Amino acid sequence: MSEIDIKRISYLAKLKLPHEKEEFYANSLKDIIKWVDNLKMIDTSETEPLHNVTEKTTSIRNDEIIKINSVDDVLSNAPDRAQNFFKVPKVVE
Amino acid sequence: MSNNWEMVIGLEVHAQLNTSSKLFSSSPNQFGSEPNENVNFIDSGMPGMLPVMNFACIEMAIKTGFALNFNINKYSVFERKNYFYPDLPQGYQISQFEFPILTEGFINIDNPDNQKKIRIERAHLEQDAGKSIHDIDPKFSFIDLNRVGTPLLEIVSYPDLSSAEEVVSYMSSLRQVLMYIDVCDGNMQEGSLRADVNLSVRHKGGELGTRCEIKNLNSFKFIRQAIEYEFKRQIDVIESGGKIEQNTMLFDTSTGETRAMRSKEFSHDYRYFPDPDLLPVNLTQDLIDKVKTLVGELPQAKLDKFIKDYNVDKDIAKIITAEKQNAILFEKMISETDVKPKFIAAWLVGDIFAFIKENNLEVSSLNEKTKEITDLLKLVSDDVISNKAGKEILPRVLNGQGNPSDIVKELGLEQVSDSGELEKIIDESLIGEEENISKFQGGSDRVLGYFVGKCLKATKGKGNPKLINKILLERLKK
Repeated sequence: MSEIDIKRISYLAKLKLPHEKEEFYANSLKDIIKWVDNLKMIDTSETEPLHNVTEKTTSIRNDEIIKINSVDDVLSNAPDRAQNFFKVPKVVE
Repeated sequence: MSNNWEMVIGLEVHAQLNTSSKLFSSSPNQFGSEPNENVNFIDSGMPGMLPVMNFACIEMAIKTGFALNFNINKYSVFERKNYFYPDLPQGYQISQFEFPILTEGFINIDNPDNQKKIRIERAHLEQDAGKSIHDIDPKFSFIDLNRVGTPLLEIVSYPDLSSAEEVVSYMSSLRQVLMYIDVCDGNMQEGSLRADVNLSVRHKGGELGTRCEIKNLNSFKFIRQAIEYEFKRQIDVIESGGKIEQNTMLFDTSTGETRAMRSKEFSHDYRYFPDPDLLPVNLTQDLIDKVKTLVGELPQAKLDKFIKDYNVDKDIAKIITAEKQNAILFEKMISETDVKPKFIAAWLVGDIFAFIKENNLEVSSLNEKTKEITDLLKLVSDDVISNKAGKEILPRVLNGQGNPSDIVKELGLEQVSDSGELEKIIDESLIGEEENISKFQGGSDRVLGYFVGKCLKATKGKGNPKLINKILLERLKK
């Protein structure tokens, strides 16, 4: 099993881990992966990949506009708004 | 800079599909609305919402498949591409990754002296993201989620392009096809069609270099500028002993320069996995066959038809086929009159397009007036009125100020095409011109123009110039 880069994983998951907890979480993740790795014992070379357990295919709808809510509904959970925009800390690439 | 460098370019083109509603939600897919007007709980990424596929997007993808010579895959899968950004409220973009709906297509582009086949690796359906606005407030970004969930078809070419010209030609051919099959409005200014350019440099015929990706170019001008700048930049780096780092670049439209996006602490890892909210897409042969009948005539086929069947010059035919609405207008006019298509084509790309441009009109706005236009062109091609008179009254006809024959009568513009009458006028105008007549007979062609002018003046400009020319020549050669 490859080493766990806990800094990178927490960055990707947008989680801030206290420095002293990093090793704890790295080890927990290792255990989880070790457990999932048991699946590798099964020979799947002859098996088609499965993307969904049902035999069904995706539902479709017709291309019609249905409005079910107002702008205020959508903004009602926003931590902050400015006119009808969501207002968030500056993020610039 | 030595000039044995060449550029190798692949393009990722994002085409917004012109559906009524979004890819997975019933919100309007509409540009220019008030902020967050077109956002429902699916678009805003509320928990527990279930995305449901818009059938029109599947149809449009299949149409594109036929138009760009793709394999249309009966089995495709939507996956989650995970990353955090404020204008992506779900925390992931629903896209296709391992099993895209279209693979291995191509399009032919026109180079100055040949056609080049550009291979297209894949095209897949995905959601567009929202828009962040950074310049209203110094401390905050404002987020408008209207664009979230707009259906995109991302079309990924192989690195078969080797100049800015080829890239522009490829992009405009794609745009033309997508507009013909009515899947994209092609409006680059509004972002309906935008490109990411992957560019690397190498010594001619040598090994591929490291590529940089320039994001989100939405005009032909910017594409050209960005490519030219980035090409020089990479060569400069290498020639001064440096190495190209694989980077994502932004193009600054105010300086015309590219710059690396703020370097990331860690490289991206999108952790794609099949979206558990969406089942795989299975296309039946029946559906594929049915959509095939909706593709319609493609630009290349129309161009060939205009040149071969209608005898239109290639350059003019290209102008007419450049946009679908031009071709529709042209074909409607042809179907309504016996005036030669070549004649109609010349008027269309000349005075009629000039009128449209001057008055800032849509070409399609003339579809209602084709009867009047072709009536006018018939009067000109039958020599009832002169070319000049036709040009004069065209604006009135296009403005809907009466039908052409009434206007012609009202202004008294009918030409004199009665040869008896013209012969009389010509004979009179030759009286006392012995000197000029002998000059003509001595080989001075310029004198002919003088006589034509004189006769036209005698008819107050209404004499049929072709006929005058013909009779004059007969008289003068005697």
